[in-house]
Order: sequence, then C-alpha cells, then structure tokens
Amino acid sequence: MEMDRESGKLEQIVSQFRSKILHVILDSRVPSLHHHHQLQQQESLSHSRVRKTDKWFNLVLGDRPPALENLNFSLRNLLDPMVIDIILVHRGSCSSSVDNLYSPSAPAVGPADETVIERWVVQYDCPRFIATPSGADASVSYKKIYKKSIILLRSLYTQMRLLPAYRIFKQLSSLSQTYNFDLVYKVSSFSHPFSREEESGMKEYSFAPVEALSGYLSVSVTYRATLSDFNLEPLVSLPPKIITDYVGSPTTDPMRSFPSSEKGAHATSFPLRGARPPSSSPFQRPHSWSSGFHRGFPSTKTQSLAGSPPAYRTSPKPYDIASTPTDLYGNRIQNQRVSTLQQVTAYDEYKSSPPFSPSASPSTPSYLSGANPLLTRHCSETAPVTIPLPLTGRSTRYLSPNSSDPSRHSLPPLSPRSSKHDASSQESPSGIRSYRKIEALRAGESPSGLSNNYSAQKVVRDSKDDSGRFSALLSSSGSPHIGFSRSSSRLSFQDDMDDCEFSCPFDVDDVDVSDSSSQNTEGKKASEFTAQSNLVGKKSQDAAVGILVQMLRTAPPLRQDSSCYSTHSLRTEYEGGVSIASGFFMPRKTADALEELNSYREMKDLLLSKSGTRVVRQEEMK
Amino acid sequence: MNCEVCQLKELEVEHFEIREVLRCILHTIVFHRALGLVRPKDVDLELFEITYVQCGDVELEKKIDEKIDHFISWVEKHPNKKSQICLSFYEVKSKQPSWFTNKTERLYWEQWYINLNVTQHPKHHSSKSHHTKLVVDPGESATEERSSRRAMVEASLREVLFQIIKFVNEKKDHVPPISEGVIYFPYEITIPSSSDSAFGMDMIKRMLHSGHPTMLS
Repeated sequence: MEMDRESGKLEQIVSQFRSKILHVILDSRVPSLHHHHQLQQQESLSHSRVRKTDKWFNLVLGDRPPALENLNFSLRNLLDPMVIDIILVHRGSCSSSVDNLYSPSAPAVGPADETVIERWVVQYDCPRFIATPSGADASVSYKKIYKKSIILLRSLYTQMRLLPAYRIFKQLSSLSQTYNFDLVYKVSSFSHPFSREEESGMKEYSFAPVEALSGYLSVSVTYRATLSDFNLEPLVSLPPKIITDYVGSPTTDPMRSFPSSEKGAHATSFPLRGARPPSSSPFQRPHSWSSGFHRGFPSTKTQSLAGSPPAYRTSPKPYDIASTPTDLYGNRIQNQRVSTLQQVTAYDEYKSSPPFSPSASPSTPSYLSGANPLLTRHCSETAPVTIPLPLTGRSTRYLSPNSSDPSRHSLPPLSPRSSKHDASSQESPSGIRSYRKIEALRAGESPSGLSNNYSAQKVVRDSKDDSGRFSALLSSSGSPHIGFSRSSSRLSFQDDMDDCEFSCPFDVDDVDVSDSSSQNTEGKKASEFTAQSNLVGKKSQDAAVGILVQMLRTAPPLRQDSSCYSTHSLRTEYEGGVSIASGFFMPRKTADALEELNSYREMKDLLLSKSGTRVVRQEEMK
Repeated sequence: MNCEVCQLKELEVEHFEIREVLRCILHTIVFHRALGLVRPKDVDLELFEITYVQCGDVELEKKIDEKIDHFISWVEKHPNKKSQICLSFYEVKSKQPSWFTNKTERLYWEQWYINLNVTQHPKHHSSKSHHTKLVVDPGESATEERSSRRAMVEASLREVLFQIIKFVNEKKDHVPPISEGVIYFPYEITIPSSSDSAFGMDMIKRMLHSGHPTMLS
C-alpha cells in the first residue's frame, strides 16, 4: 500500500516533470505557442492568480497549451522516453517573394527543407524491483527529488536561451516581419537516429540526472552548433502603414499646403510609375491619392521601401509638365508649380482667394502671363477664377508720399476697361498718366513700366483698357502722388467686366488711340493738364491737392450721367467730347457708375478736408 | 555543511560593460538559487546578444543594482585592477548567546566568485600593444578591434553562464531545503573594499564562519 502511494507520488512528480519540461521547451521554441503564452501571462498578471500547474516546480509559465495536454495523454507511459524535436522548416528560394506579398499564408511554392536543429530527450530510468524507502525517509526523499527537479528546470530554462536556436525563435516571435523559415516541433516516444552528416554538425549536452529513488530523471539535448548554414532571411513584405497625409478623399482640400520649401508649395508626388529612386527633395509627399501602387512593386526595391516613407517619394519634376493629370487637382497643382517658376506673388493671391465670380473670363489671368505663355495656356484650362487685388499692399503703396521711384506711383482704382486699346496710346504726354493694375506691375514688368513712357507690353495695353479709372497727377519732378484704392471685391468685379469692353469716361489718358478724335480730345486735356502739372512742381503739396481736385471736377463725365463731375466752365466742352467718344464706349450700368461716383466724392471730401481752405480758394480763382 | 565555491572564469570587460555583465551573471546565479515560486523574466542584454533570466523579484533587482553601483564607483577609484565580487548564500543559524557573541550566525553554504578585469579604453591599449606598425587609419581598425573585442567578451560571458549551469547541475546536495514562502535563499554580495588587505581579511573571516572547507556537511 505504501509502496503504491509512494510510487504514485513519484509517478506524479515524474509526470509533472515531463509536462513542465515540454512546456518550457515549446514555450521557448514554438512562436505560436509563445504568443499564446504571452497573452495568458498578461491575463494572469492582471488577475494575479497562480494556476495549479504553475505551482509545480515553482515555475510560473502560464496556461499549458491544449496540444500539450493531448501529448501528455498519449505519452502516459512514463518509462518511455519523451523525444522532442525542434524542426527548422526552411522554404526554398524558388518561391517568389512577390507571391508572398499577396498570399503570405499560402503554402510555399517549392520544396521546404526540414532540419532537426534540436532534439530533447527526457527519460525516466527506473530499474524494476528496487526497494523504495518508506516513512519519513520517503518524504525527505521526495522533497529532495522535488528540489533537485526544480533546480534542473531552472537550468533548463536558462539553457534554452543560450542555445543557437533561441535566436531564430526570437526572430520568428517578432511580429514585424515574416520569414522564409519556421520552427515546428514533434513529440514522440522514439527518435529517428541522425545521419552521420547530421551528427557531424551537432553537439550534445546532458543535464545532471536527478536521482529519483529507484531510478533517475535525465534530460539531454542534441543541438546544431551553428545555424549560419541556413539562408534565413526575412520575407519581402510591405507592412501595413498608416498614411497620415493621405490626399485621396474628395473632401480634402486640394490646395492644402504641404510642408513646403522656400519655393512654395510643390506638386504632390504621383504614384510610383516604375522604379524611381527616392528623391533628394525633402518636401515631397510620400503618398498620393492613387491607390494600388503599393502592390506589385519589384522586390529589389522593397528593401528601401518597406516601412519607410521616403522610399515612396518621387521627384515631382517629371510630373510637372509631361504627365499632368487632367483632373482638376492636377491642373491646380500644375498651376502652383508654374507660379513658383514665375515667382508671381499675385498668382499666390489668385490661388489664395476664393473665386469671386463664376462668370469671370478665363482670359483674366492673362494679366499675369505677360511674360509666360505657359501660364496663360494652363490658366485657360482652369475654372475661371478672378484675380483679386490685395488691399493692404496697394494701400501702403498708394499712400506713400515722397516717392521718386516711378514704380511706387500709386495706382488709381480700376474700373472695367474699354475694349479698344492701342500700343501707340502708350506714348501719352507726360501730363496725365493712367495707372495700371498692380498685378501688371508684379507680373514682372520693370518699374519703368509706369514711367512716362509706357512700354509696349500687352499687360500695359490691357490695363489701359480699363475705364473708369482716373489718373493721378504725376509730375516729372517727383511731387507726391496720391492714389486711391478700392476694395478688392470691387476690383474683382471690375476684372470680371474686362472682357465686356467697357471703358470709363474717366480714363482721360490715351486709352483709345484708335479713335483719333478721342485722342485729340484727350490730347487737349493732356496739354492742359501738362501746363498745370508744371505749376505743381513749383507749388506745395496743398497746391497739388487742389489741382487734383480740379482734375476731378474737370474730368470727362460719365456717358450716362455727364453732369456729375464736370464743372460749369468745361461742361460744354466735355459734352461735345462725350458725344464724339460715345461711340467708343460700352454702356455701363448705372449702379456701377453711381458707386464710382460715390467713391470719388469720398475721396474728394477727404482731400478737401486735408487741404483745408486752399482748394476753395483755387476754385474761386477759376 | 559543506560550502561549495565556484570560481568563475575571468572576464575582461570595459568600464561601460560592467553593469550589464554583472547584472547578467548575478541574476543568473540567483535565479538558480531562487527555488521558491517565481515568475521568470527574460532580459535581453543591449551590448551582447544574450538573454538571461531574472526571478522577477523587484527588491532583489534593486539590491543587485545598488551593489553594482558601489562596485563601479570602487572601480573608478581603483582603475586597471583585477577585482572580484563574491556572491554568497548562507543559512541563518541562531547561536546560543555566549560571552563571545550573541549574534545570529551565518553559515555560508555556497560562494560564487566573479572575476573581472576592468580595462581602460582601447586607446590606452594601443600604446602598450606589441604591434610593430603604428595604426595609420585609427577609425577603421578601431572599429574592427572594438567589434572583435565585443565578440570575445560575448563568447566569454556565454562561457561563464554555461559554467554556472554546469555547476548548478553538478552540485545540488549542499543546497538547503526550501522554506515555505521564501523565494530565494539569503545571500550576500561582497565587493572589494577600499584596500586590498581588508578584502583579504573579509575572505578569512568568511572562511572561519563557514567552517573548514574540508569539513563534510
């Protein structure tokens, strides 16, 4: 009876010992079971409970995998050795790595080599019919056996991490990559002997056996000393990557600026078209809105591509002109690109401000493109967008006094220009000049474009068509100039009207040279003002203001309403002029003219308030 | 009781490697002597491709780190010296109070000697080297030298760990019985003191306490 009980205890120790060893080995060699164990450990840590199986040999390993329980059942005979083979499954190189991208779980094409890299043999040798101790001695014996088993298991646990196979296990356990090899196990009660070739590369280590009463527990391992013979490499794969700056949604603002260089916003990189080397430019978006370019990428390049954003970046330069997408996004991007080439700040305004009017003419941006036909062409492909004028920039310009630089001449506000325009009209007398749009100035024109001799440029020509613009007084000696600014919205509206070929009667200078009569009329006025301008040079600033006011008063009236700004003295004269010139002006809306009138009135009041009573005196002089 | 002594193979380490090497060796030994319920914790070394196992006790980890700090400060004061760290396991035996002493007695049943030779930076070595030709390109050769040296230290450390496993397996009889609720046996880590002579005296004292080495348990 006692013997049965004693042997029962011993059987239990041996049985648990085998299970524990198997658990340690599989947990340190089979990645799938290891992951299961890790999850269990996390749970157990949170619950802080120790399972019954953990208490055996004082080594907490977590839940035993279900397979282990089955194995224990099949190897019930404790006297049979337990042979655990750790097998390295190496997929051959003929399996394409690209295929694995699409179906990594698919069985490898080509033969898989299986090599036993470790063989653990756990044995309980118990010669039969040996008298077992009883009573107190037995208890002490079992405690000793148990203690020594614990120590053996500790050293086994440590040894598992020092053998060469552990490195492979660690590689496989990391989930970041997949490899062309795997570790599997096989447990049996017998072992196929190694071939001579296999044995030559293997080493053996035997743990000191634990004496267990009538027998002893032994654990030994035969392992491959080196695993460098195998071509173990990670499989080429593209790990999932979160695209943080993905621009694929239609709701995404296509004009959103990306981290840009000093040049401004670059065009986004387009999907990989062939193998392009990573661009050296640091500000290119790694991903575009095209999908599907991740896949099917040549494996040779993926080393640099896998998981690294710079690898997806391509140089935007080839895409700029040659391969522009025809959608709206593409066009806009291209326009951005071209604008940076031009360095047209006004173009930035163009793209930064919302379109003012849907009816804006496509040719409006041609003001910018005086020097760059490319822009003109591309702009014509875009949705019609007006070019608003910056308010602040102009206001500072306009109000800057003592500016001897012709480029700083303040520009009068714009109004819809007339249709007719002539290059020869640019050679206007030095008296009264018309000012161009500020965009024209910024479009690369030289400051001399505003000089008395207007350069024969299309931009200038176009601006001269603007009607409704009154000239600021300009003196050759550089007396202060006064300009007036308008709201950008108003200017935008006027730009919209550009194509309507409307001229403003206030455009007193050589707007319409095709009409000789009008030119003569203007010439008369110009000469008159020239005389006056000469006077300005001699008089003070206040005098200039006064002269300007007079100009306002004597300016040719509007076609519809000719009584607004004409003085009594010049009324008849202008009426005639208007009638002659009427044929060359397009009708304006009354509301526009009224609005303009009001603005002039405001300006006049402002000037009057500044000049004080002197203007009044001048009026009295007349 | 017999006191088993294990002299581990001498390791030639650099100053910055001391901490990792000592942690690895000390924790490995204690893990084999922490026979209570433990939850093993794998630790990967940063300097070497070696993974060792800790028994997971926070208090133990703290004490070991403290001792390592003391040792490092000692090494800084005594550079270029061979040093020894002694990890001893003992049993506490209450002694009958007598007019000699009324303290509890420590019976050391196992002692591990970790032998270290802390070397200086390789630059200092080059001046003492026996190479006939001077190093023309110090960058490349220094890197190669460093990597080969690192590999040597790793191999030596691995050998030391195997040595520990072998010793632990071969000598089990002297290990005291496991007490209930005790995770690891009482231990003591002795680092060299300020003077070598005092260190020697500590050794003699320990021998007296543990009894004659030839005595059987």
